Amino acid sequence: MMTRDQIQTILKKSVSFSEGDQTEAILYGGKSYLTGFANNHIHRNVGENNYNLSLRVAFGKKIGSASVNDFSDEAIKNTVKRAVEIAKLQEENPSFVSFAKPEEAPEKDFFVEKTAEVTPDMRAEYVKKICDKSKEKGLNANGTFVIDLMQIGVLNSLGISRFCSLTVASLKSVILGDTSSGYSIETSTNVDDISVNSVIEESIGIAEMGKNPIAVEPGKYEVILSPYAFAEFISSLSYLALNARAVEEGTSFLAGNFGKKILGDNITIYDDGLSPETIPMPFDFEGVSKKKVVFFENGVAKDVVYDTLTAYKNGKESTGHSLPQPSSFSPYPMNIIMKGGDLSKDEIISHVEHGLYVHRFWYTNPMDPRRAVIIGMTRDGLFLVENGKITKPVKNMRFTESIITALNNCIELSKEKRVMYDSSSITVPYVRIKDFTFTSITEF
Amino acid sequence: MQRIIEEALMVAKKFGVSYADVRVIDRTEEEISTKNGSVDGIKSSSSKGFGIRVIADGAWGFSSSFVLTDEEISRVAEEAVDIAKASAKTKIEDVTLSKIEIYQDRVEEQVKIDPFSVPITKKISILLDADKLMNLQGIILRRGGMYFSKEWKTFASSEGAYLELERVISNAGISAIATDGKDVQTRSYPSSFGGDYQRKGFEFIEEVKLLENAWRIANEAIQLLSAKPCPSGKMDIILESSQLALQIHESCGHPTELDRVLGEEASFAGTSFLTPDKLGKFKYGSDIVNIVADATAPFAIGGFAYDDEGIKAKKIYLVKNGEFVGYLNSRETSKKLRLEPMGAMRAESWNRAPIIRMTSINLEPGDKAFEELVSGIDNGVLMATNKSWSIDQKRLNFQFGTEIGWEIRNGKLQDMVKNPTYSGITYEFWRNCDGIGNKDYYHIWGLPNCGKGEPMQVMQVSHGASYGRFRNVQVGVLR
Repeated sequence: MMTRDQIQTILKKSVSFSEGDQTEAILYGGKSYLTGFANNHIHRNVGENNYNLSLRVAFGKKIGSASVNDFSDEAIKNTVKRAVEIAKLQEENPSFVSFAKPEEAPEKDFFVEKTAEVTPDMRAEYVKKICDKSKEKGLNANGTFVIDLMQIGVLNSLGISRFCSLTVASLKSVILGDTSSGYSIETSTNVDDISVNSVIEESIGIAEMGKNPIAVEPGKYEVILSPYAFAEFISSLSYLALNARAVEEGTSFLAGNFGKKILGDNITIYDDGLSPETIPMPFDFEGVSKKKVVFFENGVAKDVVYDTLTAYKNGKESTGHSLPQPSSFSPYPMNIIMKGGDLSKDEIISHVEHGLYVHRFWYTNPMDPRRAVIIGMTRDGLFLVENGKITKPVKNMRFTESIITALNNCIELSKEKRVMYDSSSITVPYVRIKDFTFTSITEF
Repeated sequence: MQRIIEEALMVAKKFGVSYADVRVIDRTEEEISTKNGSVDGIKSSSSKGFGIRVIADGAWGFSSSFVLTDEEISRVAEEAVDIAKASAKTKIEDVTLSKIEIYQDRVEEQVKIDPFSVPITKKISILLDADKLMNLQGIILRRGGMYFSKEWKTFASSEGAYLELERVISNAGISAIATDGKDVQTRSYPSSFGGDYQRKGFEFIEEVKLLENAWRIANEAIQLLSAKPCPSGKMDIILESSQLALQIHESCGHPTELDRVLGEEASFAGTSFLTPDKLGKFKYGSDIVNIVADATAPFAIGGFAYDDEGIKAKKIYLVKNGEFVGYLNSRETSKKLRLEPMGAMRAESWNRAPIIRMTSINLEPGDKAFEELVSGIDNGVLMATNKSWSIDQKRLNFQFGTEIGWEIRNGKLQDMVKNPTYSGITYEFWRNCDGIGNKDYYHIWGLPNCGKGEPMQVMQVSHGASYGRFRNVQVGVLR
């Protein structure tokens, strides 16, 4: 890993080489390791040491940017030169006012030494436990054990100077049987929070319950979505609707609906980069502190996330949700959390007379962005629920559903939540949704 | 470069590996996007680094770094070996590789105009000219984009391979979104996903003809707002070549990846219905369906001179006269099934280990004129330009939506329709293919965003297709 001093030195050097009215430098990266397993053994095992320096230079309202992963003086000077050239070639961006300005912000760090100390042998030991149990049960274990050690430094000519380091450990198991599959994943900044036994228990349990699935007719069903499945829904919502860019472009269903009650009383969804319920991040890629942003409060549409550019354009303040600029996906909510309910997962299932329990969705894609209609397949666990109990495994189906409709049809939420992480994190409960639409069935 | 590679291979050998290869990549990229009459962003980036892949104690290890110093090369080589030895703790059998011919070669991309020699102002100007042409009443969002990349890759192996390979990519595309306050409709050109991509220089940008098509697509987006909904039911369809390209990608390209077939991608991308027992014994499509994996296809972004295991580019059949006959494979997976290694191992960059990827997966053209395909339909829909996609993880049950469609009645094209969708089961769908457009309509589409693998790797692949006619297809789902 680079040291904090090395990162600060490169950032200061980058800004000092620039002749721009304003200059911003971001250095981010670190080490990343992934142990992949399939067919009950490790088949892929990789490591990476990579950092990227991203520069933005502004002349008045003209902005240029360039990035590089060579931090020699010559390479940095050339990259600054490219950013300057690009800025000078640009037309003025009327929305641009300034890069981020300094603010009072306490330092926060989320680097856990225990996670950083995980060796290839230790990763193999975790994986071996899953593979051994899977073999014992006559099943086939697949999955990954990921250790990420990340650092980010942001410095600009206006006085912003931020640094944070972060660790993430994530253990995933996908268990295949002859006619079924099961899934489990746990993620935390601290590797000690991950229980290999509970990952084994859940993934093998679902695979064993799923043997010899029956076919049911596509149509409308009451469903219980596990947090794995529901997070896929919320992930689609985040890029289709919960950011200022989607509102500005008119593709978000929130456009024109702020202040209106468009979802049920039980729907409260927000973004909070510092919550203990998420994989945290104290500031964004412009160095702005993460603010808590409430998207829906008891069903009322409240707000979306902003970076500096979209904030200035809309007379708002940045909420600290910029991605490395320029980006057609920025601003972006990175720490979405949904308020849970009072019930346990089992209590929710016990309330369903006839429905389906969905353990996981996969390959969800937008079909009609404005109406927030998405499509996707079930995977790794679909079960019939009858008279309050999971009774039979079911063959996989495709859903076609509007996120708005589904959230409006959400009638119960669990206390228990899970955090799902893939560059950004989503923390959601089990939910019970009525009239959920499945449009076709597949052969397995 | 040679010094880095020799050092890496030497360190790996010192630790007793049975195989090692090294890739050093130096890549420069430029991306320009415009939105509603202004430049939305210009990205200029460069990245270089190296990756070392080894087999030690009969198992794989890989490590990589952006720091090209002797000390770091030694550290990374040693780390790759440590990782491989950890992998060996769970091994069931030793990794073995098919034998291949070993090459030393240097290949430069045949480019007429280096895209990095063209001023950014010229590129912006083309996009803004196209933007103006799309600026019609009712259009709320106009987008344009270009992407260029140039890289040099050096590959060397402990078996003596030494390859220096240049790769240049150019791209351009535009889109227009229209709304009437109730509905939103999109048209893209020349295809969705940012347009078309080829292994060419700036000369490709003129070939794409953005300006000649900008007004048309904006106008179509507006017309779609008042178009009638696509009909539903079982009927015949014709797919235009860019949509057929995605159909090939999802329903033939992915299921013929042998790593998926053998369960090695079960954790993320999924598996495949084309299991080894079906090879040479399964009717994938009708007799006129011939699908090749052709890494030699000129200018195709799924093509290359050598893959990332040093195998010279090949063309093989995946489906011949409707029969499933071939897999995309690697040295390791081909050895497991005693197949010829065909060279489909590719890595996104220096920091990723290669995995099996599509090359250029092409449906060979047929003999039909477009008018012939249409005239053979009493009741059906012509569908163009992908809008949505969904397929199960074994690649059997699919559903696609396109941006635009036209009804076909009594052998003639009729009204425009909105939100066309179709769905089916892969082999049933391809068995119902009874007409393929001739080579006049054939085009190899560059698809830059195929995601696969853990850690995720986004790969440039391509698909050749003409028009395709399919009988008795389920059309319509969007309520």
